[in-house]
Amino acid sequence: MIPALEAAFGFIALAGAVSAALIRDSYGKLISLGILVAGTLPFIVDRGYIDVAVTAALIAPIATIFVLMAVRREEA
Amino acid sequence: MIALYIVAAIAVFAAIRAIVEKNTGRKLPYANVLSFAVSGALVLLLDHPLSLVAAAAYFVGSTLESNAIASTYSGGVKR
Repeated sequence: MIPALEAAFGFIALAGAVSAALIRDSYGKLISLGILVAGTLPFIVDRGYIDVAVTAALIAPIATIFVLMAVRREEA
Repeated sequence: MIALYIVAAIAVFAAIRAIVEKNTGRKLPYANVLSFAVSGALVLLLDHPLSLVAAAAYFVGSTLESNAIASTYSGGVKR
């Protein structure tokens, strides 16, 4: 990958990880996890592991939906 | 090549705005913009026919994720 793009997507992934660790609000934490996945997926595609990328892109939202069930139960 | 830089710049801007924003309702549109920009970058990164499939899968998945979070945040389906 071009170094500038590596820096950009690496920054997105690191920022998502740090904010997922620091943010207290549970919805904000889930959005930060989405940012983390968005930052890591271009690296997987760039190496040519497209099947891994498809699997990760389909499993990540399912995991988020499962965590959302727990968030709703905690609120109610 | 210039399209890839533009898309990456949009992705970085949207990620920063989504993280810095305090209000959760204002975070969600920027998370959506980030996912659109990343799916555009995925299809431009690798010159392979299956990268279109990967970008389409990420587009569908991230839209589903953002809408699930938004729907739960706004109170969910009333029964």
